[in-house]
Amino acid sequence: MQHDRPVRPTRRDARKERRVSSKKVTSTVEVGEPETAQIDAPDEVQTSTPPRRISTRARSSLRASLAVVGGRTAGALSRRLLLGGGTSIAGVVAQRLYPDIIEHLSTQLQQGSILVTGTNGKTTTSGFIAAILRDAGLRVWRNREGSNLLRGIAGALVIRTQPNGRLRRAGQAISIFEVDEAVMPQAVRVIPARVVVFTNLFRDQLDRYGEVDSVLERWQQAIAALAPETTLVLNADDPTIANLGRGFAGRVIYFGIEDSTQGVERQGGANDRHQVMDTRVCPNCGHEYSYTLRLYSHIGHYRCPNCGEGRPRVDVAGGDIEAIAFDRLRIQVELPDRRGEIIVPLPGLYNVYNALAAVATAQALEIAWEPTASGIEQFKPAFGRGERVQTEGRTIRMLLAKNPTGFNEVLRTLFTDGSKRHMLFVLNDNIADGRDISWIWDVDFEQALPGFASLTIAGTRARDLALRLKYAGLNAREMTVAPSMPLRAERQEMHAVSGQRRARQANRQRAARGATIAAEDAPLRTQEIAQGSTAEKVYGIARALDKAISQTPEGETLFVVPTYTGLLEVHHELERRGLTPHYWEETGP
Amino acid sequence: MTEQSEEQEGQKNIIPPITLTLGHLYPDQLNLYGDRGNILTLQQRCRWRGIQLRVVELGIGDALDPDAYDLLFIGGGQDRDQAPVAQDLYETKSIGLWAAIEDDMPVLAVCGGYQLLAHYYRPASGSDLKGLGVFDAWTIHRGARAPRCIGDIAIQWNGQTLVGFENHGGQTYLGTAKPLGKVLKGYGNNAQDGTEGASYRNAFGTYLHGSLLPKNPHFADHLIELALKRSYGLNWREGLGTMNGAKTPDEQRNGTITSPEEWKELPIPESVKKPGVTIDPLVKLMSLDDSLEWEAHSAILERLGLHNAASAVLRSR
Repeated sequence: MQHDRPVRPTRRDARKERRVSSKKVTSTVEVGEPETAQIDAPDEVQTSTPPRRISTRARSSLRASLAVVGGRTAGALSRRLLLGGGTSIAGVVAQRLYPDIIEHLSTQLQQGSILVTGTNGKTTTSGFIAAILRDAGLRVWRNREGSNLLRGIAGALVIRTQPNGRLRRAGQAISIFEVDEAVMPQAVRVIPARVVVFTNLFRDQLDRYGEVDSVLERWQQAIAALAPETTLVLNADDPTIANLGRGFAGRVIYFGIEDSTQGVERQGGANDRHQVMDTRVCPNCGHEYSYTLRLYSHIGHYRCPNCGEGRPRVDVAGGDIEAIAFDRLRIQVELPDRRGEIIVPLPGLYNVYNALAAVATAQALEIAWEPTASGIEQFKPAFGRGERVQTEGRTIRMLLAKNPTGFNEVLRTLFTDGSKRHMLFVLNDNIADGRDISWIWDVDFEQALPGFASLTIAGTRARDLALRLKYAGLNAREMTVAPSMPLRAERQEMHAVSGQRRARQANRQRAARGATIAAEDAPLRTQEIAQGSTAEKVYGIARALDKAISQTPEGETLFVVPTYTGLLEVHHELERRGLTPHYWEETGP
Repeated sequence: MTEQSEEQEGQKNIIPPITLTLGHLYPDQLNLYGDRGNILTLQQRCRWRGIQLRVVELGIGDALDPDAYDLLFIGGGQDRDQAPVAQDLYETKSIGLWAAIEDDMPVLAVCGGYQLLAHYYRPASGSDLKGLGVFDAWTIHRGARAPRCIGDIAIQWNGQTLVGFENHGGQTYLGTAKPLGKVLKGYGNNAQDGTEGASYRNAFGTYLHGSLLPKNPHFADHLIELALKRSYGLNWREGLGTMNGAKTPDEQRNGTITSPEEWKELPIPESVKKPGVTIDPLVKLMSLDDSLEWEAHSAILERLGLHNAASAVLRSR
């Protein structure tokens, strides 16, 4: 969609542009408060109304510039006030001023857009794709993780737009947007996508997304709205995802794992039973799938014994997976026209899938093998996805786990080799994490049980997670529980105890004025404190982190496994200690 | 393993443990809201007292023999899994389940399982799912536009509080069924009449998950006690010591066991017949250190603004 002819930039404009870009306006990082999709939120629906073909192009262009200027001002203000990265607020303001802003801008991208969605692996998969495309010499634009609603996408575009409503250097740029599962139907309507990647579908935030089926319905709507020139990249080993490709008019590239070997455990034995499967039955006939290889949850090689529908033929097949180190996996990849080897610099089978999804996307874009392999090997993990921080002679590694399957895979990656690990779990139930934490009972903590060298549990729902571990068989004395806040009832009790003590002390002082009571009072005081229910307790993320670090001997690694907002809290705390940069100052794309 | 359980293990060496058998209905289909937490809680709380809780999974097509179990659990699932489950429950297990419930077997049904124990579930579109009618109640889903009942919830049960998380689109209305409790904060059966769940004899239906039993140890113990009383006689010690005409669960089962290997591990309760032998759980359920449980319980009460109830819970321990 061409709007009015671009205004030839004057020398003055070019200078202004240079100045703007040197101020790092290009960095696209989420705001401190993560966004959440409210399903059927009216403001998201608004953008899905058919594009208004306004006869006066000038007017839409004018609205676009207004939206861009307004959005960027809001974003700059937010950054200046240290409220956060300001990308989302820029998007919100721009969308408010011009609801069709995404469509207006995204149609200017001559290299097109890639959309990545799925329950787990969105951020890492987009990261792998970005690394490959950069190695292939493209300029890559991304929205930052967490900013994956339409306003985040709008923000990512707006901050790269000139005040006249035209994207800067749009011709050389390819954009990768990670998109929240629930907003896919709206996203495909406003962004003409070259490639759409679906990673997997697991139960996640049931209070927000509803059941797995309602997400699936949205994805089916989204796919029905895609142009046939779009390429779908689908996980062949997830039956729900693979089924999305049936009947699609355009090209479909399937990726999958042929076999997992050497050091990367496949699922089996007793653990099998406790991993819930979110897809059990064939959508054609309702018969239960049978598996010849089950890698985790419902991921594997499946076939319906009734109607014969099963895993499709795979175009990008990973196999002979070999763990060179904890976080270096060597994988042989089979493509239609060649074989190759990739090194994935992250631990866990789930990251093999993320890398294969990126290889498949590179295939869709006809990227050569060289940049594909080197891009993946060179990939630097996004925050919380295996990233490392050094402090006081210890290494802290962060592994986000926000749903049962993700958590199970993190635990399996950490504990299958029988090593003892120092752990800090952070379980929050803020809106972005999902308010319902019953999923922790679906996590197979039993598999990790003998493996805790030390364990600290923090977050708004630390007590629930501690209870989960108690019922897994861990002694309450073997863990430090550090909830975000003490209970009010506990605080009152604590006050009552100290109040009594003050009263008693006053009485005694009155009774035996001048007598030395300090000596006998001292042991009494400690005794009282030890008996009080608040004795020896720590609260808040800072104390929890201190405790976890102090329990990790020097030279060893502390693994932090947080939910989404737990990750942000830990990051803020590390940032406060000067251990990581402000996250909106991280090198943008 | 925990020290607590090791101590109990020591006791086990002297006296074979009392065994309870739990039938877990449709563990593969109805497991949406951490239902495994309820099973784990029953299992561990029995174990810590030297009681062995065996879990037998009952899937689609498996018959339900009312004499083979001491308690039953049924969880909640996705809509697409619910229809085949409803059909199987009605066709394969209804008579066994009715018999068990009329015979006072403790049954806990959460969310979808609760709905299937009432008369019917009327989805927003499509035909009704027939329930068993154990509870005189019915459930209607008013479609995607009607708000779901989602959030933390606390109810008054038996003069005590129960806490959990609810997430249901269907609204349940009680006919003559007794509610499980009164809603203190949250939605409950239908967000209107202040009732939550239903109970009939020893069968309990509820929307509370989260999981329910870990944070409500008194309710978990209530179920265990009901099972012990029913299976081992009213006066537990007496009933076992002298048999008193009452049959042990093993004796009851003798005629009905289909696969002998499965029961081989069953302890023989002969030793408990010896006079003078006391087993704690037969006299009264040994109390456990539940401070963590009650803290988690109080935390939910506090976030619902029920501060007095929270203090009462912490004080009463």
